Amino acid sequence: MDYKLIYKYFKQTATYKIATGILADLYVFIETIGNIAYNGFHTCKFIIKGDINFKEVIEQCYRFGITSLPITLSIVGMTSVIVASQVASEMVKQGGSNFVGLLMTMLIVREVSAVMSGFAIISMIGSSLASEIATMKVTSQIDAMKVLNIDPIRYLFVPRILAGTMMMPIIVVIAGIVGVLAGAVTAHLSADLGYRAFFDSAWLGVYMKDLGVSLLKALAFGATIALVSCSTGYEATGGAKGVGIATTKAVVWSFVAIVIWDMVFAMVFFF
Amino acid sequence: MSIEVKNLVKQFNDKTVINDVSFKVNDGEVLAIVGFSGSGKSTILKLICELIKKDSGEIITPEGEDIAMVFQYSALFDSLNVADNIAFALHERKDLRNKYSEKDIKHIVAEKLELVGLKGIERKFPAELSGGMQKRVSFARAIVTEPKTILYDEPTAGLDPISSTLIEDYIVRLKEETNAASIVVTHQMSTITRTADKIIMLYDGKIVFTGTPAELLKQDTPYTKQFVTASLEGPMKIAA
Repeated sequence: MDYKLIYKYFKQTATYKIATGILADLYVFIETIGNIAYNGFHTCKFIIKGDINFKEVIEQCYRFGITSLPITLSIVGMTSVIVASQVASEMVKQGGSNFVGLLMTMLIVREVSAVMSGFAIISMIGSSLASEIATMKVTSQIDAMKVLNIDPIRYLFVPRILAGTMMMPIIVVIAGIVGVLAGAVTAHLSADLGYRAFFDSAWLGVYMKDLGVSLLKALAFGATIALVSCSTGYEATGGAKGVGIATTKAVVWSFVAIVIWDMVFAMVFFF
Repeated sequence: MSIEVKNLVKQFNDKTVINDVSFKVNDGEVLAIVGFSGSGKSTILKLICELIKKDSGEIITPEGEDIAMVFQYSALFDSLNVADNIAFALHERKDLRNKYSEKDIKHIVAEKLELVGLKGIERKFPAELSGGMQKRVSFARAIVTEPKTILYDEPTAGLDPISSTLIEDYIVRLKEETNAASIVVTHQMSTITRTADKIIMLYDGKIVFTGTPAELLKQDTPYTKQFVTASLEGPMKIAA
């Protein structure tokens, strides 16, 4: 039997092409996970040693916290308006006006503030981190850094990941307050629900555990968005196309990572 | 102090891009690595400064001394101004971070900028500079740590003839002022003849000529003849 000939024809089949395509994607997937883990490990090493560029951390905190705040608050506020405008009038009609505040606050504290803030930060900051580092990579700026004996992980990753981890809880708390206020105003306008009735029930369904889990989520989301975005940018190759691919990858991977984190938190704390 | 490369080999995906290359550059000497595009010239520089790992061979560099590299497209940090670009290593490198005061750093930056003829542009950003000026700022950044080896990757590529001449003069001036061993990767004749003390020509990852600029211009071998006359006819074939 002429195995070489069989192999030659097999290579032209759709089965072979699909299988090699899947394997190539799987390879890229595993490689990306590996790179993120490797970069995360090295970042932790610098942080544990206290080898941190604090000036850069402050700059990145400003970028994470201040520049993203208007969009983050708008998204969380609007989500709250959308939910409250649909839920409040229906609940009031069904005689549940005493629970509108409870439901809205629980929803915002447990999910909306952290997850929607996460999505806003990914689209604003994650994409910009990835494209910035990818551009530095494809224009040899990172190579220049290495030749100058400066570790790009210390200079680029550590401040961004620290800033993401520190700023995200603050953003989530502010977004939560804005979300609850937006919900109260919307319930008042759409269902004529008094502010007193809203806030009297608002505290009933929110426990310290909810606030704690929300802050933990914020920490995890902030660190993950910064790490994933920096890592995908750092692995960029080629020119402008490579920067585009890295940015898309950062956004998609960060979104997926946040949803996975959210699922893990839900299963661990509320299952 | 000098830099020596012995039997260097590097493969990418089973293709040998550097094949048993050996050479030595002494202090205060400029070696030009010439050859057509894709002949492996820049790969040698990346191997020397360990941006990529060699497969086999030896690269002997001065122990504990810095190697500086001037990149083809300058590779200045575009979010930092000129002063911060030049002072980057002084601010960020572990062994230099606390060595100099801000006043000292300011003085060093001004001194290096003066050396490359760009006094007083400390606060400008790379995007505000011409290609030639960016290149000279990258020279200043490269020499800020007083390196004993300076690598130039196509320093005059994409520059007009007058800017090229200026850059070539600075390569010679830096060699004289720092007494560093320098390697210039180029395929421009003016850069070769104006800066190099000796030359190696690469083709297909191998050295096909070693000599001085004068020997290159003599066109004694089929390789030098083809290179100098920029002819399509000859032993060196360019991949279509």
